[in-house]
Amino acid sequence: MPPNGSNSAAAVWAILRKECRSEWRTRYGLNAALLFAVATLTGVSFAVGRLPDRTDLLAALLWVVLLFAALASLAHAFVREVEGHTLTLLRLVASPTAIALGKLLFNLLFLAVLEVVTVPLFLVLMGGPPVRWGPFLLILGLGSLALASTTTLVGAVVSQTRGRGALFAAVSLPLLMVVLAAGVSGLRAQWDGNPVTTEARLLAAYAAVVLGASVLLYDHLWED
Amino acid sequence: MSAAAVVVDALAVEALGLEHLYTGRRGLPALSFALQAPGVVAVTGPNGSGKSTLLRLLAGLLQPTAGRSLVTLAGREVPPAERRAVLGFASPELAFYEELSCLENLAFAAEARGARDRAARASAALERVGLGARARDRVAALSSGMTQRLRLAFALLLRPPLLLLDEPGSHLDEEGRTLVERIVDEEARAGLVVIATNESREWGLAAQRIELRGRGLGHPA
Amino acid sequence: MILRLLLFLWIAAAMLGGFLWAPLVPVLGDSTRVLYFHIPSAWNTVLALGWSMLHSIQYLRTRRLGHDDQAAAAAELGVLFCIVAAVSGSLWAKAQWGSYWNWDPRETSIFFLLLIYGAYLALRSAIEGEEKRARLAAVYSVVAFVTVPFLIFVVPRLYATLHPSPILPQRGEGRAMDPRIRICFFAMLVGFTALFFWILSLKVRLVRFERRALSESAARS
Repeated sequence: MPPNGSNSAAAVWAILRKECRSEWRTRYGLNAALLFAVATLTGVSFAVGRLPDRTDLLAALLWVVLLFAALASLAHAFVREVEGHTLTLLRLVASPTAIALGKLLFNLLFLAVLEVVTVPLFLVLMGGPPVRWGPFLLILGLGSLALASTTTLVGAVVSQTRGRGALFAAVSLPLLMVVLAAGVSGLRAQWDGNPVTTEARLLAAYAAVVLGASVLLYDHLWED
Repeated sequence: MSAAAVVVDALAVEALGLEHLYTGRRGLPALSFALQAPGVVAVTGPNGSGKSTLLRLLAGLLQPTAGRSLVTLAGREVPPAERRAVLGFASPELAFYEELSCLENLAFAAEARGARDRAARASAALERVGLGARARDRVAALSSGMTQRLRLAFALLLRPPLLLLDEPGSHLDEEGRTLVERIVDEEARAGLVVIATNESREWGLAAQRIELRGRGLGHPA
Repeated sequence: MILRLLLFLWIAAAMLGGFLWAPLVPVLGDSTRVLYFHIPSAWNTVLALGWSMLHSIQYLRTRRLGHDDQAAAAAELGVLFCIVAAVSGSLWAKAQWGSYWNWDPRETSIFFLLLIYGAYLALRSAIEGEEKRARLAAVYSVVAFVTVPFLIFVVPRLYATLHPSPILPQRGEGRAMDPRIRICFFAMLVGFTALFFWILSLKVRLVRFERRALSESAARS
């Protein structure tokens, strides 16, 4: 008796492991993203110097660096499938929702690794007042979730078109303005000693809305 | 008679005005048929007549633009979204992850489909198609003939009651084609095998034939 | 034919009324007149967005290309009116408060709308195949649909609290007061809405003609 084909949790986990293994074997995605992030950071640090008291600029620059790195790299989870023509294989072993969830978790992991390297480097290079770790990580975490869920969905769409990197950035950006605005405001607030509840709620609501819409939309994404 | 020859309980595949026509592209004009397991069915027709489209429609990879397909197993209908659980599919454009080995690719497929003994199943499938010795080689290192065998292994991985094979003999040498014949013969004892092909040797395996008379390439209506 | 003429006369009359007959709003001075086409343009932009997104959802549900035609045509018109609204608003801002762009909530909202429209159209232009384009564009449209409330209502307020402007825009103050202004304004609003739907119907008919011509020439070849 064949096993149940709609065993989603197993599929999500299998896809996540497969992505990690593929990424580890080729590693060009992560390397490129890290290089890009560090290069951007270096450029910014070189141009601006230390900003011990400009919390508004610090918040904005950190998010810009992260955003750029994300836009440069998070589409490639899907682009790889399209270019390798492995979508048929994937669709034959997992439901669209499972595929999307697996890719989302991978993108989150990817983003986390990126941030673990970039954020401390940023804080060291740019200076700035002491970080309130609770609110800081909360905003960073929720913002990353919002970022990943949006870019995973957009990446799935754009990977099927003729356009690639530039189109991915152009199409993601309007949606990501919410993340940018709330993320910047939130980080600035935690540096200024203000509460971050508004921004945190906003990011959480946004992520929930995008994830909710994704669940309904992923079934329509691959029909070829 | 071995245990594997137990007839699968009433697998049936039906097409009811099944059609896939996109604007400006050749597709599949409305088609109706009824098939029943066990057995072998060949889908033939000129290039561009919609053979591959038909198989993809049955597999649930494509949504029809009109009509529908019906797959029933043990009295229960299997909607297109769940078809992957009851079928094995192999076609020339099926590609694998080049950076992973044959074993890893199949184990991934088995794991995603919820199988517990994924390594064992993967190994067994590879042995069956004669790729046992290449199990740990990366897919990038395979020849086109070996890749085709891998596709067959993928289709057979979880011993599905319905097999959809699009040009199973492509890229295969004489030994490979004999292998295909043997596999089709074994699977058709209990399940339904649908082969889309232009090879007379392959459609000779079939008891039934669905002939698509599409316009084909370069042939006026 | 008559309707077109009527529409032309209607809008002309409303414009003339606005420029010559209705008085000026005291606080706005001569620049009052901008509101006769700036606000209707902004309204049309929002109308176009809603129309486009609604039809995108309908396309995903029914897969009828007619819905996609509506969605695409409405989006193209939406960009047009968005630019008109943004530019006229900017000129008004300059006349009133001395600077072309201030990132106040409404300017921010219009800007985001423009970005969304731009992204949607850029996406469409990168996809071949009508059905694929319709499907992917519709998916994006639905995502944009759920994020628009955030972009239009929440984010601009966030910016406003971060950077409180010394200039306090007081749009529309006094607009509701004089009945002559109100008449011309609502007449323009109605006229612009009619204009939108008229041009929309033209665009959709054009697309249908093109599609029919294409399929006829394909059938003949």
